[in-house]
Parts: sequence; C-alpha cells; structure tokens
Amino acid sequence: MSARDAERALRTALSRGGDFAELFWERHETLQLVLDDGRIEDAITGVDQGAGIRVTNGERTTYANGNVTDVDDIMSLAGRAAGSVSDGGELHEAARLAPDELERTHPVAIDPRSVPVERKVALLKKANEVARAFDPRVIQATVSYAESCQDVLVSNSDGTHRTDLRVRVNFAVNVVAKRGEVLESGFEAVRGTRGFEMLGEDVIVEAATTAAHRAVQNVGAEPAPAGTYTVVLSSEAGGTLIHESVGHGLEADLNLKGLSVYSGRIGEKVASELITVVDDGRDPGQRGTAAMDDEGTPTQRTVLIEKGVLRTYLSDRRHSEKLGIKRSGNARRESFRYLPICRMTNTMIERGESDPDQILSSVKDGVFVKKMGGGQVDVVSGNFAFEITECFRIRDGKLAEPLRGATLVGQGPKLMSEIDMVGWDLGYSTGTCGKDGQGAPVADAQPTLRIPKVVVGGKLK
Amino acid sequence: MTQRLSNDEVIDRALSALRSAGARTAEVFLREAQSGTVETKDGEIEVVIARGERGLGVRVLDGERMGFAHSSDLAAAGIEACVEQSRRMSRITEPDADLRIASRALDVADLAIYHAGLERRALADRGAIALAVEKAARGADPRITHFRKTSYLDAEVTTIIATTTGVRASYRETTCGAMTSPVATSNGERQIGYHGEGARRLEDLDPAAIGARAAKRATDKLGAKPFATQKLPVVLDPWMAQSLLGAIAPLFSADNVLKGRSLFANKVGSKVANERVTIVDDARRKGGLRSAPFDGEGTPTTTRTLVDKGVLRGYLTNMKTANKMSTSSSGNARRGSYASPSRIGPSNFYIQAGVDDPKTMVARLDRALAVTSLLNLHTIDPVSGEFSLGATGTFLEKGAPVHPVQGITIAGNLTDLLSSVVSVGTDLVFGPSGLGSPTLLISELSIGGT
Repeated sequence: MSARDAERALRTALSRGGDFAELFWERHETLQLVLDDGRIEDAITGVDQGAGIRVTNGERTTYANGNVTDVDDIMSLAGRAAGSVSDGGELHEAARLAPDELERTHPVAIDPRSVPVERKVALLKKANEVARAFDPRVIQATVSYAESCQDVLVSNSDGTHRTDLRVRVNFAVNVVAKRGEVLESGFEAVRGTRGFEMLGEDVIVEAATTAAHRAVQNVGAEPAPAGTYTVVLSSEAGGTLIHESVGHGLEADLNLKGLSVYSGRIGEKVASELITVVDDGRDPGQRGTAAMDDEGTPTQRTVLIEKGVLRTYLSDRRHSEKLGIKRSGNARRESFRYLPICRMTNTMIERGESDPDQILSSVKDGVFVKKMGGGQVDVVSGNFAFEITECFRIRDGKLAEPLRGATLVGQGPKLMSEIDMVGWDLGYSTGTCGKDGQGAPVADAQPTLRIPKVVVGGKLK
Repeated sequence: MTQRLSNDEVIDRALSALRSAGARTAEVFLREAQSGTVETKDGEIEVVIARGERGLGVRVLDGERMGFAHSSDLAAAGIEACVEQSRRMSRITEPDADLRIASRALDVADLAIYHAGLERRALADRGAIALAVEKAARGADPRITHFRKTSYLDAEVTTIIATTTGVRASYRETTCGAMTSPVATSNGERQIGYHGEGARRLEDLDPAAIGARAAKRATDKLGAKPFATQKLPVVLDPWMAQSLLGAIAPLFSADNVLKGRSLFANKVGSKVANERVTIVDDARRKGGLRSAPFDGEGTPTTTRTLVDKGVLRGYLTNMKTANKMSTSSSGNARRGSYASPSRIGPSNFYIQAGVDDPKTMVARLDRALAVTSLLNLHTIDPVSGEFSLGATGTFLEKGAPVHPVQGITIAGNLTDLLSSVVSVGTDLVFGPSGLGSPTLLISELSIGGT
C-alpha cells in the first residue's frame, strides 16, 4: 500500500468531519503443525488480510474494519467510517504522510517461511520421543509448532506512515502423566519474536524434558495445603506475578477511568523500595517485542515503578494526552478487527541484590514456587490470582516434597509493599495476555522474590 | 475494482479448483459475518465499531491424510492458492483411517436462530440499548459511581459448507448481546461487578435486568473482609455454576477420552455425579445461542443426555472419534471460525433444572459461602480436573448474608465437584456462551484464606 493511497483513504475518512484518522493494515501468514497421540495430526496454514479505519471526533471514536484484498476495499472502509461520524463539525485536513523506517530489535536470522516443513516436523517428532521416553508414567504428549508473520502498516492524519514485520515462533509441549486414577499434565513453551534460529535441537529437547518432568512430578505430588504461607518465587517461575499484580493496574485507559488501585498515584510510593518495574517493548527477541506499537509509536523501555515509587502508566496516543504523560508505545491490538488498547509488552521486576540461595535458606517453613502458569486480576480492587504449575514445600530452608494444584492470591499494592527480599537473578516466561476479548503476545520476568505472608489456595484434608 | 464474488460463487470456484487438482474428498467452509458494536460512557456513545469478515477454510483428505488451509483473499487467485495450500498440508500430516469428509445430504432444520433486520438497525437504536443498560445499573443503587465498560453488540452470520462428496448446505444466524461492568464505591472501597447476556433477537434482551444484575454484583462485594481457611458448603448461582460447567465440558470430549486425557475415560455406565445431576448437550434448542442445524464438518447436530441422574451415558464426538468408537457422530465438531479446523466441543450444554427452591436450599445450613466471582477460570486443567481459583463471596449463616469476603481461594477436583452437588435449583438459566445451569449447592469445598 503506497503512501499516496493511504493519504487518499485518510482524506476520505475525514471527509465528514473528525479530528483524527488512522489506517491500520495487516497481512498475517500463519503455519501450525500439531503432533498428538504419536502422529502429525494437524497441518494448518492461512492468510488473514484486513484493515481498519479509525476516526475520532471529540470524545467519539468510530472504527470500520474488515477483510480487504485491494485498495478499493480500503477506500470503501474509509467511506464507511466517515459515514458513522455524526456532527463532524469543522473539517480537518490530513497531514502529508512522512514515511520513516524504525530500528528493529527483533532481527530474524532465519525466516521460518524459508525452512522446509520436514525440519519442523522432525523437531516435533524429536520432542515427542524425548517426552515419552522420560518416564513410564507418561501416557500422552502433544507437541505443537506455530509460526506467525505479521506485516503491519500504520498511517494517520498526523503524518505517521510506518511499517513493521513481526515474525514470531512458538514451540510448545504438553505432557500427560498417569498414576492410578490420577492424571496430571505438564507444559513448557519456547516463544519469541525471532526467527527459526531460536529452535535449536537442544532447546527442543530441554522443553520436552521439562514438560515431562513437570507432569510426572505433579502426578506423584500431594495436594497443596490451603492457607497463608511465606512464599519464595523462584526467578525460574517467570513473571506472571508482576503481570497480574501490578502490570494491568498500570494501563493508562483503566487509570483515566479511575478504575485502578493505582489511579492518581503517580509520584507516590506503591511498592517496597526493593521493587523497580519496567516494561520494555524493545527487549531483543522477546515475545512482546516489536519495532512499533499498533498506532505506529516506536516501542521503548519505560520505567513504571522506580524503587517503589510510581512514575508513569502504559499508554497509547489518546490516554497519554489525557493524562499528560509521555506516550509509551503500548497501544496494541490483536488484529485489524480491534481498536488498539493500552497493554503490556515485556514486563519485569528488575534484579535486586540478594543471593537467590540465601532467600531460600532464610525460610523455615513455606512454599517455593518453581513455575507459574496463567493469572487474572480485578484491577478495581487489586485482587489477583495466579496458577502455580510447579511448587515445593520449604522446610528448614530446603526444598522438601512437591505439591500440586495450587493458586496464589493477593492484592497488588499490598503484596508489592511486603516483598522483603529481591534476588540478583532474572527469569522470563511467555504467554498470551487477554484483555477486553483481545489476545496479545507478552513476556514477563522477575528475580527470585520472598513474600513474607500470602494466601496459597489448595485443598484441606 | 476487482469483481467481488458472491458466497456461492466462492464455493463453486473452490469446488472446481479441488476437482481440477484431483482432490476427490475435500470440504469447503465459508463464513461471512457483519457485526456492529456500540460502547457508552456516562450517558454518551463513546465508540462505534462496524466489522465485516469473510473467509474460506478448505480441508483436503488425501487418502487417509487431512490438510487444512484458510484465506480471507476470496478473489479467484486467492481461492486457488488456498486449495493448493490445503493439498500441500495434507502431504505433511500422517494417516488416520478413521478420518472422513461428510457425504450424507443435510436437511437444514429451522431452529429459530435467525431473525431478519437486526443488522440493519440504526446506530442510534443500538446506542439506545447500551445506554439503557448503563442507566439501569446507575439507577439500581446510589453507590454505583462509574463503569469500566458498557456495550451492545449484534451480528449476522452466514455459514456454508460444501463437500466434493455431495454435501452442500447453509444457514444464517443472528445474535445480539449487552454487557456492563459497573463500579460501586463506598467509604473509599471500590468493587467492580459484571453481567452480560445474549439472545438471538432483540426482544429477548432485557437491558434493565442486565444493568440491575451487574450493579448488584458490584454492591454485593462492598464491605468485603478476609476469611479464615476452612471447609464450607458452597452455593453457586446459575452464572457461577455455568463457569465451572464450562471447565467440565472437555471431560466429555471423545478426542480427550481416546487419547487418555479425560477422567471420564472407561466410565460410561458408571456414576460420575450426584444422582440429582443430569447434563444435556442440545444443539437443537430453539433459539439457543449455540444452536445450529449442522456442525463444523457437515454432520447433523443432535440432542443428547450425557449424564443421566449421575450416570455417564456417552461422549461428544465428531466423525473421526465416532468411527474409532464404532458409533455415529453426535455432531459436536465445533468450528470457531473459517480459519480454524473443527474441534470437539459442546453446544447448548446445561445441567437440567432440579426440584429445590434456590432461596431456601441454604436456609437449613448453619454456615455456607455463596460465590460471587471467580478469578483464573482459564487456568483449570481439565486433564487433572484440579481447580484452585481466586474468589469473592458472601458468607451466609442460616441462609442470611453476614458479610462479603475477598482474597480467598476455592479448590477441589471437577469430578468431586459433580459428586458433591447436594441440591439443584429450579432456576435453570442459560448464559451468553450457551452454557446453562440452575443454582447448585456443593456439600463442601476447601477455602484458602487467612
């Protein structure tokens, strides 16, 4: 799509009034291979191409979107968006587009589309073999490979005209183990905004081994006891905690509406001095990385909480203006079917100064979380919950028996103020974040942390 | 401008491309959807979204190997490329002798899922519904101070399936829905509520009731206190019960059963739930939100009792798993979009109404917890059946509310949950995702707290 065509679409979009217009276009090519029950069961490929035209007029936004094959389709969307603008008021001219190139922190050495499918199939088979050979209690394995190549163009009436190509690869292993009547599953994934080079055989073997180990360990584990415990969250556990307990609460749209426990608190102490929280959309190769957000704003590293003090929110164009904060490049959308919303990219608690081993040995009786799964937060009350997929009892500063079926719940600002030890290590996890019905690829990271008292959900005998 | 092919022309082109390529068993699936969304804030329309979508999914069964490709490019070249990609994909997968492409002609029943005119409504009419929901929530209680979001959405969808083996059928459907998430404020404490409903036609949507219920969800949580770790009887209202029922559905999937991933494997004829529990999957329910005349691979849908008075009677199947189990498909190959192959899933999946009055079922209990919201439902692992969820609730004594609680967990196993249902209400309600349940009383669950 040329800058001239984009200009034409933006002019049409503003032809009935409105103070800002934007064109978002994407072409998304995907391939998914699934090995299940010992055989390659699914091979799926597809192309999804579409566009959305947004017009804002005062407090009202109209958005027309759909699948498009050519420029005429885009012009018809622009006409449709303009048609929904009522009381347009003064007419605004779209600025001349000023195309520019953004620096990429997500280099792709090997475009996955150039790799023969046989090599991808071989990786799936290898992972399946490794997982099944791990232990006789392993009864089932599902291994999947997915590649996603999303070409994006954003043009707007302020003159922005930028493109981005996000190449993402996702390799996941899910293993089921059985002991008597008890079934448990174990999961591990390798995901990033990178090319095929990230899937070396060693990486695949490790993922399959980890998933199998988790399933087998959980199937032999005791149910976690419900109650309040001292918890050590290993850096290996990933960053679901920061994502749920703090991250969502710092999204600018929720703060403008006064919906977050962090609303109106910039400059205030909202966490322990040991806590610094950063969102970095440029973290090389990570799952939430891109050159620009879905409004064409370059991504960046944003310090959200600095030594316990709230500094800013995760923002898009509109909310950064309304809140008078710097635009942070956090406007993201699942596809052209949606308006962008404020959300995280790669979010982390920065490294601290404690020795991770000493954090563990400091706890006489508690719970050690080795891997976290998904989570959810109610941003209004700050109450959050996340799944624990691998954990152990701590007795006398050492790891004791494994536990299964646990959840950790707490309230964001309270928990962040109580963390009293932060390790010098750092571990990542990846996932797909859901907000307002849209999914977005993200990564989270944290060092090893100690929480003096927190509710661990489990069963009572 | 390139000529836009009609839906039937797209199907014809795809079938003819398949024939020229020598694909003898293949299926073409097209879905077209037009939808409109309006979001409101403080009595004004804030966002208007018009969405159009049309795409094609092609499955090729080459011998015993299945390939799948999809495309939103429905120009002639795009259709041909999609067919070619699907053939290429079929050479990657491994053989399964039980795979089939539908070949029996379909009789499309009228299930009252289409009501003309919904999609042509004026923007102002759509906005008025969302505004009525917001107004009802605000008017329900003076402590409702603001909103996360209030929205109304409607859609008109056309689905067409055709196979090289003689099946060709289509249906249209309409849906509309409204939801709101109001915030209640009192003495510096804020709590959010949520409620949404869906229907096949506007007359069945009640904006005032949606707003009022959402407001009550928020105000019921005000004054929440921490709660001690303990075991208690738990009351699930129809919406909370629907959430957990949704997590139970994968246990009925024949695919999970055959692959050793379901706790219901080898349990047909055995007791898997309390005798008060009967679970039905009914894709033929008139006006049901998940009703459809045929499923995602062109098999007629059915109505089935899966659990009859606590006893497991069968599983949800598609053609492949039905072949493996020497039975016929129950028509549960559900297809989320043209871009995804079908997966086994429920349609209108519900627990039948029982005989207990939902108000009095807890009155005889000294202490109980009524759950008012659940966090982390998406993390329930249907394989192990274990669940441990964040929750809020209301602590009850002799059925009367004492105080709301927050920051707790409820935990158990899905199979134990079904066995522990000791009362089933008369108040069956269907939710926006086709799940239905009456109020349930669970004899005991572990609650994690202080």
